[in-house]
Amino acid sequence: MLALHEVAIGASARVSDVTGCDSTSLRLLEMGLTPGVSVRVVGAAPLGDPLELELRGYRLSIRRNEAARVAIAE
Amino acid sequence: MNTSHAAGVQNQKTPLTVVLLGNPNTGKSTLFTALAGIPTRVGNYPGVTVEEKIGQFNHQGQVIQLIDLPGTYSLSPKSPDEIVAVNVLCGKMPGVPVPDCVVVVADATNLERNLYLSSQILELGLPTVVALSLCDVADEKGIAIDVPLLAARLGCPVVRVVAPQREGIGTLCDCVLAAPARLPAKPSGLNADLAAISAGHSQPAREAMARYAWIERTLDGVVRKTGAATESFDAHIDAFLTHRIWGTLIFVATMLLVFTSIFWLATPLMDLIAAGMDAVTLLAESILPAGALSSLLINGVLAGVGGVVIFIPQIAMLFFFVALLEGCGYLSRAAFLMDRLLVGVGLSGKSFIPLLSSFACAIPGIMAARTIENPRDRLLTILVAPLMSCSARLPVYLLLCGAFVPNVSVGLPWLRLPALVLTAMYAVGVIVAALVSLFLTRTVFRGPPQPFVMELPSWRWPRAVVVAERVREASVSFLKNAGTLIVAVSIVVWALVSYPHNEQAIEKEVTVVREGLQSRLATLAASDPDRGTINAELAALETVDGLEAARLGAAQRQSFLGYAGRCIEPIVRPLGWDWRIGCAVLASFPAREVVLGTLGVIYNLGPIDTGAEEGSTALVRRLRAARWDGTDRKVYTLPVALSIMVFFALCAQCASTLVVIGKETGSWLWPVVAFLYMTALAWLGAFATYQIGTAFL
Repeated sequence: MLALHEVAIGASARVSDVTGCDSTSLRLLEMGLTPGVSVRVVGAAPLGDPLELELRGYRLSIRRNEAARVAIAE
Repeated sequence: MNTSHAAGVQNQKTPLTVVLLGNPNTGKSTLFTALAGIPTRVGNYPGVTVEEKIGQFNHQGQVIQLIDLPGTYSLSPKSPDEIVAVNVLCGKMPGVPVPDCVVVVADATNLERNLYLSSQILELGLPTVVALSLCDVADEKGIAIDVPLLAARLGCPVVRVVAPQREGIGTLCDCVLAAPARLPAKPSGLNADLAAISAGHSQPAREAMARYAWIERTLDGVVRKTGAATESFDAHIDAFLTHRIWGTLIFVATMLLVFTSIFWLATPLMDLIAAGMDAVTLLAESILPAGALSSLLINGVLAGVGGVVIFIPQIAMLFFFVALLEGCGYLSRAAFLMDRLLVGVGLSGKSFIPLLSSFACAIPGIMAARTIENPRDRLLTILVAPLMSCSARLPVYLLLCGAFVPNVSVGLPWLRLPALVLTAMYAVGVIVAALVSLFLTRTVFRGPPQPFVMELPSWRWPRAVVVAERVREASVSFLKNAGTLIVAVSIVVWALVSYPHNEQAIEKEVTVVREGLQSRLATLAASDPDRGTINAELAALETVDGLEAARLGAAQRQSFLGYAGRCIEPIVRPLGWDWRIGCAVLASFPAREVVLGTLGVIYNLGPIDTGAEEGSTALVRRLRAARWDGTDRKVYTLPVALSIMVFFALCAQCASTLVVIGKETGSWLWPVVAFLYMTALAWLGAFATYQIGTAFL
């Protein structure tokens, strides 16, 4: 299964699940990365991490290891 | 309106407690200022580093106490901010009454995510009013919101506000007065949403999905977007500013501008303050009769006040830029750009600006750590920020580098050794800070990885009111909270330097000094270069000023400070220092740069201005001629100079920084920790430098 950090820059993907039940996963869910939502990977910082996402009409930045928790539908 | 008025009259005696809550970056602080003006109380909630901000205002005869809660995305208690928010809302926070009304600030340009928090608040069943903020920005972006329909769906009043223009403020106040009379409807259909979600997802995922499903249903037909172009305009700016080359260049240029501003633009203002303080001191000297009282007022109180006020230009300048960058949305982009660099040592991108500012002065730097929401990252940043070489260390480095590091080129003709040593001192601070941070994240602050889930807010123009309020708040909180303590420390140090004071013992010591110089002169060969210095020192003792300086030096050597310096000599010996250096370092506890002035007094130069060319060359001459008591061995050699510099690079000899750490963390444990670990590292660093230096040089 693919995760959000593997999505090419500029591409969009649909979230299928957020793994883990700790506070980081909860924060990702609260920020709108819920199963079913469409996310676009806008870009990455010059050093490759973190990523810039666009979802639900706003932009969000998360690190790659956090994006790895977000499973996407192929 | 009628019910609101009735309620207002009824409760005229008891103030209404209203809580202001919302996501970060929603213009909540602008709304606070528009409603209540300058807060009546700013501080920390007991035991946590969460800011407590309370204001008061009057609407239609009803006194309203407004509590501003920190910006949060959710009410599920994960961070201290969220725990405080939940406790205040549930009436469990000691000293805070149960709120009569909750005002939820929701960003009109991004309602979908903002309503997540609103859905949780509506579930609490407290009287609630939703304030739609940033409506002017939403209008510009072509986002139209059907306010009556939204209010009907949410089951609570919804008010459009543009806080800087005061649009909707009156209506909001009316709604707040009316709110306690009617409870909101609980979010309808949330439970049904939850039941409809397949059991395949985790419980937190199901709750979030249910809330967003409810939000999507609530907003259906409420929000209409007519300007899709602006969204892509924002994305274009982001693509440019986070570009590998252009983004980095703009970032470096911005940071250079901020850094040089606090470093250089603040300097004329600081000089002005220093000149003003000098004038006041001169005036005080001319009015007050010489004696213990005037010494206390001038060298204790006035010096302390001057030492406090001098920081204001840098604090104000830094917070001006921070508020500007925060207001337009670049602050989170800067954290985004720098995160990878800092995450390796256990910090995050948000630590960058506080750490960079600490190169000018740790005090505004530590205060700027307020922009770091994550409490662990914030504390870690505060603890390592004083290791950045601030501008107070520069005079010490410059004097010692210039006087004791041979001015030879190393490798390349333009690469001089003193410049290299100076650079090395800055590097020492940075490297040690990285190591300390790594060590702390693996020991004291060990725990689950701290998430870096950060909103990148839309680009917008910074609001002048917000910038002004930020600058005012930072300056006032420094003066009020830290200022008094810094003055107190200054008075204590004055007492330690001035007492005990015994005229006879001073006279005796001046005679001993004169005889010591004469006997040394007798043993020196006619060609010895030190003869000139000693002759000059002897000649100075014959003048009024020179004698006064020698008496001042004797008084200082006989004071508690001199006594303490002799006591700690066994501790500073392994660093290559004599007791006089120990004294000067002890005396520099209020501020590092004091060390040079103290050395001047100890070496009988009197209160010289070591910042001026004349004063500094006089001091360097005395330092070069200094010998270990009763021997012919020079005190200041290259390893000793390096050892002093390394000590100053790492030590916590800055009472103001320690006081600010105490105030910003809300606990006196952390300044103690900072002082102990920095002093230990400084001693070890100076020890290693001296021992390795003497072995190789």
